[in-house]
Amino acid sequence: MEKEFIKNTEKNITLNVTAGRIDSFRRTEKTTGTVRVYENGCIGVAGCIGEPNEEELTKRATEALEFAIPYPEKLEGALELEQRHDEEIIPIHELIPTMQAFLDRLGKECPNFAFSNKIGLEYTSTEYVNSKGRRLFCSGGEVNTSLLVQNRGSGNVFDTFLGWKGDSFDADALITQFKKEYDAFFKRVDIEPGRYPIVIDISTVLYRFANHFIGELYAAGASLLSGKLGEKIFSDKLSVMSDMNAETTPGACFFDAEGCVSAPDFRPCIVENGVLKGLLTCKKSADTFNIPNIGTAQAAYDGVPGVGLSGLYVSPTAKSLKQLVQGKAIYVVMAEGGDATPDGHFASPAQLAYLMEDGELVGRLGDINFGGNFFELFGKDYIGAVRDEPLKGSSLCAFMMDVSKG
Amino acid sequence: MINFREGFYADIRIEDRSSTVIAYKAGVLENMKNRLEKQAFLRVYDGKLWYYASVTDVEHLQETLDGLYAAGTANPDILKDPIVRRFEVNRDRRMSFEDCSVRDITLKEKQALLKGYLPLLSENECIKMSQATYLDRNSVFTFISSLGADINFDYQTCGLSVSFDMTEGEKQFSGSWQQGGTCFDEAKGHEDEIRATIEEQYRYMRDSVPVEPGKYPVVLSPEAAGVFAHESFGHKSEADFMLSDETMKAEWQLGKTVGSPILSIVDSGEVPGTGFTPYDDEGTKARKNYLIKNGKLAGRLHSAMTAAMLDEGLTGNARAVSCDFEPIVRMTATYIEGGELDFDELIAPIEKGYFIKHINHGSGMSTFTIAPNVCYEIVNGKLGRPVQISVITGSVFETLGRIDGLTKEVEQLSFITGGCGKMEQYPLPVGFGGPFVRVSEMNVQ
Repeated sequence: MEKEFIKNTEKNITLNVTAGRIDSFRRTEKTTGTVRVYENGCIGVAGCIGEPNEEELTKRATEALEFAIPYPEKLEGALELEQRHDEEIIPIHELIPTMQAFLDRLGKECPNFAFSNKIGLEYTSTEYVNSKGRRLFCSGGEVNTSLLVQNRGSGNVFDTFLGWKGDSFDADALITQFKKEYDAFFKRVDIEPGRYPIVIDISTVLYRFANHFIGELYAAGASLLSGKLGEKIFSDKLSVMSDMNAETTPGACFFDAEGCVSAPDFRPCIVENGVLKGLLTCKKSADTFNIPNIGTAQAAYDGVPGVGLSGLYVSPTAKSLKQLVQGKAIYVVMAEGGDATPDGHFASPAQLAYLMEDGELVGRLGDINFGGNFFELFGKDYIGAVRDEPLKGSSLCAFMMDVSKG
Repeated sequence: MINFREGFYADIRIEDRSSTVIAYKAGVLENMKNRLEKQAFLRVYDGKLWYYASVTDVEHLQETLDGLYAAGTANPDILKDPIVRRFEVNRDRRMSFEDCSVRDITLKEKQALLKGYLPLLSENECIKMSQATYLDRNSVFTFISSLGADINFDYQTCGLSVSFDMTEGEKQFSGSWQQGGTCFDEAKGHEDEIRATIEEQYRYMRDSVPVEPGKYPVVLSPEAAGVFAHESFGHKSEADFMLSDETMKAEWQLGKTVGSPILSIVDSGEVPGTGFTPYDDEGTKARKNYLIKNGKLAGRLHSAMTAAMLDEGLTGNARAVSCDFEPIVRMTATYIEGGELDFDELIAPIEKGYFIKHINHGSGMSTFTIAPNVCYEIVNGKLGRPVQISVITGSVFETLGRIDGLTKEVEQLSFITGGCGKMEQYPLPVGFGGPFVRVSEMNVQ
């Protein structure tokens, strides 16, 4: 009988912000434990909340084998690897004064905006051990500002968003960048309908097509990508990976739920220079459909592993926004509610978009809709990507898209 | 026995939750588990700051509570605090599911129920991948407060979700069906319904044509109308968004016209189903709250904090997705009230428009979106061909004003998967509902 043991610990401090003032302090600490056992082509799982008792979990997982849930016994081989990125970001006793000072400065710089929601500090650690001799440990931390921003008098639930996370907190950089958006927000500009470069977080577009990258759908012929693994189907400039590297995604764990490690860069590849290189799988779906497993599985603490996807890493093609899109472009900050038809036509409204000129914000656009076809968006209409713009840790892509007024 | 200290307000919420997941993919068992969790969320308020803790060790709540007290500063006037004065002090035991608890059904019985539906997913050869899931949850809540509240109540959901990916030639479609209820027996006997859904969605894949984008009259099904009400107006009725901007109260003055005179939207925790919330997570009893009545703004949803800050009454809408989080203002079951028409009468005046039958998702800010899953054209007052629509959008207030027809028939719907998301708290079970709703113009893409 083969076995895996996983222990995960999360420690969070979360501050609530109302009208620019911190009004609550929440502390949570949660530890979970998991044992998965494999025998005769089946898996048994047991999980617990709280400090795990491995022996007791093993007994329960062994009993769960009677459910006869098929799963291949293909544990990863011996490897010992440890990454610790859990240096203290801000001492807990300094968190409220630090963040209140940040909010006060933000309020002064942006007096027509009202700020609310959460600021958090999160530390996680994950330990994975299996009976083949694999022993992995990863810990990390991040500070996370997730502020809803209301334009005073707009009557809206929120008008824009100040979201950022990283392994350090640079109030000056955040305020300086956000002030640029604030200034542009109050300059109304207009454009004619047509085709424009759209600058946007790639996940807003790609996640609407995420199911087409799932191994099971691919193998069943139900994906737009079916039969195209290994083929060049997108732009040469497009390379997309799952980002499990803490240097570019703070807090990321470098191994997946089944102990798979994509060394040396910890970024399992999905698309490389336009070639479809990988699909989203777990060991079971990879084995069932004879697809390579790229190692992005996820699992609940008491659940069977399944297909997953963490953050995305898109290889940069430009060093700055100005280099990425020269002349007029549209920077889409919020685009909720878009979707794609079964044949791959994507359309979305933009709740907040700015006109850019040579990479600089010019002013705020009215309601617009934008969209395009899946293969064209990531093919001939893909312009490229930039990292660390407008802030360290940011990642933006640019596509040529059809734009109409809302 | 918990010892509360003077000079503070405090409350403790304990949830004892049992949940079951059984899932088959392509006819093969993929997951089968029953999770038992007991967790508590503690709050202490000293009149200036709230201190929260979430714990799984429910045997040592006094120590955790004392730790929160130590972080605050005793306030001799705490009982005069406007938030503290708002709290209801209910003492009640309201167990609605003791006679039909899903805890009393064995995993084998639940598995057998789900297995019975699996052959249906092999009947259409265009189905290339399928997933069938059984889900249930039974929670027993205890709520006590330093003011003397002492409440016990339960909550239960049980249902099935089926999804399938179909292909025929170059055509593809992801279809789904689900049933959400509160008792195990309600999940039985849905074979004909599932078969009919697969057949309809197969025909949709085979025959649907791309829509010509433009502005058209649109008829929303109760499912689409319920999501529209929730996303477009329900979230705007959550009073916490009014706290940060002092101009909001004037902007959202009660009595202001915000929609068509035939439109009334209600939120109520008393509706049976996934939005059932007999007491909220601050111990406030459920009640029926009109958000819009006859087109005019009639009310908003509150926690004790928002009610105190806006000087309005409690509504029973302080909810948390679990004992990991503090309660915030959330909806329960939100629905549009019915009108006077039959469905045929509703579509009769439409020369060219669309009927949105099923949806994938919706969102709502100043502009709302609905991403349809199955829709049909309406031509000369009759339903026509199935059509492919990526998204329908519009200005929330313009659209609320353009509602010009409602059917008498109103459906209350419970979804067993997913739920409402509000920032870090997802998924919260809520109910949706409404009649068939006609809107004179929407942007269709």
